[in-house]
Order: sequence, then C-alpha cells, then structure tokens
Amino acid sequence: MAIIERPREQVAMQGGELPEILLPTNCPGCGIGVDVSELRPHNYVCTNCGHHFRLGADVWIPLIADDGTWQERWEDVRSHDLLKWTVPKRYQEVVEELLAEGLNESVRTGTCTLAGHPIWLATFDFGFVGGTLSIVAGERLARGMEQAASAGIPYVLVSASGGARMQEGVLALMQLAKVNAAVGRLHAAGVPYFSVLTDPTFGGTAASLALLGDINIAEPGAAIGFTGPRVIKQATYADLPPGFQSAEFQLAHGQVDMVLPRTVLRPLLAHLLELHTR
Amino acid sequence: MSVWEIVELARHPDRPYSLDYIRRLAPDFIELHGDRLSADDPALLGGIGTWHGRTTVFLGHQKGRTLKERVARNWGMMHPEGYRKALRLARHAAKFGFPIVSLIDTPGAYPGAGAEERGIAAAIATAIMEWFQIRVPIVAAVIGEGGSGGALGMGVADRVIMLENSIYSVASPEAAASIVWRDNTRKVEAAEQLQLTSREIIGMGVVEEVVPEPPGSASADYDAAATALDEALYRHMQPLLAQPADELLQHRYDRFRYIDSLISAEPGFGPKVN
Repeated sequence: MAIIERPREQVAMQGGELPEILLPTNCPGCGIGVDVSELRPHNYVCTNCGHHFRLGADVWIPLIADDGTWQERWEDVRSHDLLKWTVPKRYQEVVEELLAEGLNESVRTGTCTLAGHPIWLATFDFGFVGGTLSIVAGERLARGMEQAASAGIPYVLVSASGGARMQEGVLALMQLAKVNAAVGRLHAAGVPYFSVLTDPTFGGTAASLALLGDINIAEPGAAIGFTGPRVIKQATYADLPPGFQSAEFQLAHGQVDMVLPRTVLRPLLAHLLELHTR
Repeated sequence: MSVWEIVELARHPDRPYSLDYIRRLAPDFIELHGDRLSADDPALLGGIGTWHGRTTVFLGHQKGRTLKERVARNWGMMHPEGYRKALRLARHAAKFGFPIVSLIDTPGAYPGAGAEERGIAAAIATAIMEWFQIRVPIVAAVIGEGGSGGALGMGVADRVIMLENSIYSVASPEAAASIVWRDNTRKVEAAEQLQLTSREIIGMGVVEEVVPEPPGSASADYDAAATALDEALYRHMQPLLAQPADELLQHRYDRFRYIDSLISAEPGFGPKVN
C-alpha cells in the first residue's frame, strides 16, 4: 500500500471527529468548570491545566484512526461466566449490562490507517470491568498481533486497565502468556510495536503487553505500575512519595520513552511510523 | 476438604519448599547467584545439578523456614532482579542444551515500592515473553502457591503440573476479597469463587497433570512427595528431550495460545470464532 507523504506537523491531532462523552462537571485537575464543546476538539485535555480525561475505546479509535478507515475485527467474540462468579454481583449480569450500554469488552481491535500508514490498532476500554484483561481481550489482541506479524503491519496499542480479570480466574492470568507470546511474534517479525499507556495501567496489563512496546509512550499524569498504591501501603506500611507510579516516575525509572500530551500523540505516531517503515 | 483447608495446606509452613525437592532430585545441586546486572534475589533460587543422568537447570521460589530465613528469602516474593536472574540461567541452559525444571511456590511478586522503582512489571512482562524463545525443554510444577503474575513469570513451560494440595490463582484470596468487598478478611468466600485448587485448575485445562501427595499431604512425608514429583516431572520431560527445538517452541506457543480452548469446546460456552 502506498504511503502518503505528509510532514508530521500537518498530521491532524485527531483522525476523525470525537464523540461527545460524559464528563464530570469540574476538572479533577484544576476544578474549573468543564465545557464539553471546548474540550472535545482538544482531545479531552483540560485547556486550563492539561488534565487528561480518561477516554473509552469509542473515543480512542477516531482519535488515532484516519477518518473512515477503521475496520473493527472479531466484535462478536463474547465473555462467558466460566467460574459462575456471583460476588458482589453475578459476572454474567455485569457483562450483559455493559454490552447493553454499548461497550464491547475491555479491548477492541481492528485495522485502519494513521496519516496514511496502515496499522493494527488495539485499545483498552476502562469502562468495561476496569479494562481488565479477559479471555476475549486476550483473544482479540493475540489474533491481531499474529496477523500484524505475518502481514508486516505496525501495531499500535492504547492501554487503560486494572490488570487481569479476577472473575475469569486463572484463565485470565494465562492471557498474559498468550498475549506476550504474540508480542514475541511481532518482535521476531521486525514489525514496529508502539504502546501508549494511559491512566491507569496496572497489574497484569503492565506486566504483559503494555510495557513491551518497541517504544512506550505515556500520557502526562497517568498512573502506571504493577501493584496498586493501596496494596503497597497495606503490605509494607510504606509512605509513598507524591508522584509515585506516575508517568513521569516511569520515565525517570527507564520504563517509558516519553511522556507526551494527547494533543501531539497522533503527529508523533505518524512520525514514528515514518521512521520505522521506510 | 474445604477449599480454604487446601489453601492452608498449600501455604503450610511445614510444606516442602523448592530446595527440599531439588536436594532430593539432584543431590549434587550447585546454587548459582546473581542477575549480572545489579543484585541477587534470594526469593528465587537457581542452579545446576544432575537429574536422571543429565545436567539440568533448576529454578524455584524459596520461602524460608525460620523467621530469619523468611526475611532473607522475602517469603518467596521475587523482586525484578529475580526474573532477570531466571532469564540469565535460562540462557545458560539454552547455551549448553540443559533442560529446565521450574518449581513455583510464591504468594506473588513483591508488592513494595522498591520493586516498582526497579521495574517489576516490565521484568515480569519480559520474562513471560522471553520464556517462549528459550530453545530447551522446560517443565514447571506448582508445588505450593501459584500466586498471580509473580508465579506466571516463572510458569511459561512446555508442560505445567501441580501438586495435589497446591493452588494457582489470578489473585490471592485476600486480594480478591479486598477488591470485591474492600475487606480482606472475607478470604474464605473469595477462595471458593476463584477456583484455585488443583482439581479446578486441571478442569480448566491449564495444567497437564495433578500429582497426588502422600497421605497427610506433602508435609507429612518429604521423601514420598519428592519421589512422586520426580516421577511426574521426568515423565513429562522425557518426550520433550527428543523434540527438535523449532517444534518445541511452536508447541509451547500453541500451549498458551489455545490454553482457553477447553471452554470453547462446549457449545455456547466460550469465545465464538467468526
């Protein structure tokens, strides 16, 4: 496929128009009153303090993909309540309610172009059981990575996840191995893999695909780590310094390549794609 | 036996630990130390010894028996350096064609600030990914606690088996209770939901075999438990030793790629493929 030559400063900061989403009335960063019509063209970054609002897959997809190029795959792969989980609520019910709300599992994946470059895109959806890595999520990720590896198409991931999905038991844990094996295929095939870490990325997702990108990019202020701060405090009685496990902390500790505002993410990804596919 | 009684057996302070098994499996075992980057993690022991006439790399979580030892071994909870040491020894095994035996017995990776600062998430992620590239046979056994990502970081293998009274779980019962009820004292109920016993795990197709323990559990008779583990480990290892490396890696990939296929085998119960 021909790659459209386009200088990166001309790459729009959104691929298409973002949907309107429900936002808190005040910015959690600075407390200023939130105006959706003002924030939407700014990729839901507070124009006053730079706070990055959490986005679902329905926003991430038009933000990254060139308008009209998104082709979703394996949308009808479904979760099942294999452990017959009932606490605090029946897992099957939780899943059905979220599906009825229009969410479709914790990971959605498909193909699109970004500034003309064909890519595979996968995005977590924190709204679906905390973006937890489930069997369906693992299956969608692994299939996409396998296809990207064999076709030589760059892979872009946007993560926001609490870790492996407890309600699917040890089989959710096994998704870490399933997905990492597929990441290994991307690396072995010489296919670029860019990982965008957003707030929050924890547990099994941080301990699998999210930190294995050729290039890891974190959003400002995103919380990223393995064990959550509450558990660390409970287990070790440690006082955690301010900014512990922030994106900036991970940059200082060598885990991510850069901390970058969402408003320049797309031009950056376009440039990285150019640098890695010529 | 109730689920919670099994959890207690799996965590019992008298239960044989990795070193108790390794000393019986390979009496000439030599422990090796260090990740060659910055430190040695005593929560994970590793080394070489003769097993069924063949030099073998052994890896295992070690919890420590006395309080002093427990502190030194950090209750078998690994830091990032442990996963880096494991990979270093795995590469040693691959260089010389030694098979690898990995014994899993950990509550989880260490949930501390230092582990976070030194990249525990990336260390586990890298370990899980790299195990798929190690070109020698690997057999893993859960001998006590298989706690979450910290256990899986040592659990990518060609075959995985479990001792009868061991557990393998996505989250500890305490952590699950704390997530569900914000109350980690409801661990008994959480353990029942998690389906973490060996019988439940093999039912999900996650392990190849459950190894029966001697009467009164492994704690009652270390020698008999070691003999049973040894027999099962070697029975799984033997066919792998003859397998060409490319085939071995493809099978290892497929083992985890389709590990959830049992649940899709039942109509209407599993991921639907289009």
